[in-house]
Amino acid sequence: MTAFLDARTLPSDVVLEPDIAIIGGGPAGISLALALANTKLNILLLESGNQNFDPANQKLYGGSQSGLPYIALDAGRLRFLGGSTNHWGGWCRPMDEVDFEAKPWLPYSGWPFPRKTLEPYYARAQALVEAGPWIYDQKGAAENAAEGTVLPLGKGGLYTSWFQFSKMRGDVLPTQFGKRYEAELKRATNVTPLLHANIIAIRLSPDAKRVEKLDGATLGSNGGGGKRFTVKPRFVVLAAGGMENARLLLVSNDVMKTGVGNQNDLVGRFFADNPVPRDVATVVSFAGPLAPFYGSNQSLDDGAIMRATFAPTAAFCRSAQVLGSLSTIEQPVELDETGKAAVITTAIALGVDASNAKARSLGCGMELAPDPDRRLVLTDEKDALGLPRLKLRMRIADEDFARYRRTLIELGRQLLASRTGMLHIDKKNRADWMKTMDWGHHHLGTTRMHTDPKQGVVDADGLVHGLGNLYIAGSSTFPSYSASNPTLNLIALTLRLADHLKKVMA
Amino acid sequence: MRRRTVIGSVAVAGAAVAAGLYRFTDLFAKHYPPTPYDDVLSVLVDREEAARFGALVRAAPAPGALAARLRAILKPNGLAGAVGADIAAGRLAEVDGWVVPQSVALLSALAAKA
Repeated sequence: MTAFLDARTLPSDVVLEPDIAIIGGGPAGISLALALANTKLNILLLESGNQNFDPANQKLYGGSQSGLPYIALDAGRLRFLGGSTNHWGGWCRPMDEVDFEAKPWLPYSGWPFPRKTLEPYYARAQALVEAGPWIYDQKGAAENAAEGTVLPLGKGGLYTSWFQFSKMRGDVLPTQFGKRYEAELKRATNVTPLLHANIIAIRLSPDAKRVEKLDGATLGSNGGGGKRFTVKPRFVVLAAGGMENARLLLVSNDVMKTGVGNQNDLVGRFFADNPVPRDVATVVSFAGPLAPFYGSNQSLDDGAIMRATFAPTAAFCRSAQVLGSLSTIEQPVELDETGKAAVITTAIALGVDASNAKARSLGCGMELAPDPDRRLVLTDEKDALGLPRLKLRMRIADEDFARYRRTLIELGRQLLASRTGMLHIDKKNRADWMKTMDWGHHHLGTTRMHTDPKQGVVDADGLVHGLGNLYIAGSSTFPSYSASNPTLNLIALTLRLADHLKKVMA
Repeated sequence: MRRRTVIGSVAVAGAAVAAGLYRFTDLFAKHYPPTPYDDVLSVLVDREEAARFGALVRAAPAPGALAARLRAILKPNGLAGAVGADIAAGRLAEVDGWVVPQSVALLSALAAKA
């Protein structure tokens, strides 16, 4: 069993020469290291932080923003081993086939491969996030196992889909990769996790074809830079998250003046998150309370934790030109007099009894359209290690809200068609949407994947266009985003990368 | 006066009172002043609630035009048929955020205006 190394204790100006250097010890970095464990490859896993939260280290994430108000850049991520899994909610759902499609009506959409390319990796990804047996939308599986009745929806554009959840441990948050996989990482004799190890530059060969070395630094006890070290790997995998991946490429501009992989001005563009507006609508169930799995998580006998959500079908996405959205039932709502009048009048017209009707709010996780001008750029302000800080230019198009509104109207129509309920849209205008806006803290798209170097930073394997040995892992490579939470999906993508690296390096 | 006559008179008087209570008070059933659209409004079981909801319908046509439109909508299959057809065809209205069949919105608007 190998212990974790501390970069602060390395000899001065040491040069490390692994086969693969993985930059970032979050879910992508750890999943990749585990997938490459017990191979002949010598893996160095570089983690900026320690095994616990450190405010000084966290400050390295600080940045600024303009445009639409967004969460602080150091608030939605955690800079220590395990990364964002140290505070994630454990929501899991595989992306849908339609999420991978290029849509003629949606510029920049589509992945270089279909969902079936990722399918062989989902089972292992599911095991890593400890979300129990694979159930999700397998026909009837959740409905049969969960307690309660699925709300019938009339034929149409939405259906009841299912989230699964990373394993809860009492009141403790879901699987935290740093803690959960500490023993496995230590057991893997070919994997060396190096803590307190910040990479501050990616140095390219003069012909800009390969990464020659990585400049590393520790954070000094005085709050500034500490020890310096160098990594000369055969291959590099950048897995530092949707913001830091872009930042590290942009700051590494000594050979490629616009930054590594940024010859087409794409790095940092197309930033996205999943907006999570609260109280978007009120759903009335004429018959009374909905099954418990609509409003909260339900644990099944086989260990799976499930929650129902309303998702658009692929056919509806295509025909109505809407994007992904996952709408979940939330809090009970007391209707006002006009609301009651609406329910009574509509129920009578439908010929149903609404005397026991119950209303609940609806929340949502939305997918945004790809937008090149929603982007991260470098500023003149520097962090404690001398790296320029990021600025986020955030925005949401009115059309993003309009698309989701079409989805809500269809859900309302289907409730009426099944004569089980009805729906009130709580948002009248953009200000309304923004008033209750929360975010998924999912940082997506800043090093997007595309087969064409003019449209993507990395190719379909995650290799940075134009370079022979620099790969990127994680949701920064997602070219379009889906409404499904990214962790399960980015892990599946990372496991695919692991297989690719094994072949390339064999 | 014969006893039979007294009993009969009391019964007639009682029936008259009951009929009056029914027709001219809301004790047994809600009564509304007559309108030219009562043939349409009669499909509403709870006209008061419909009127409360219908007051939120924006830019509704004048009652006469509304009633004419509703007569055409309701003629083939009544309210249930009209509502079902609206839902199937996606003819929905948003009334102050409530997503309802168009015929329900129109009928409610007429109830509010009548």
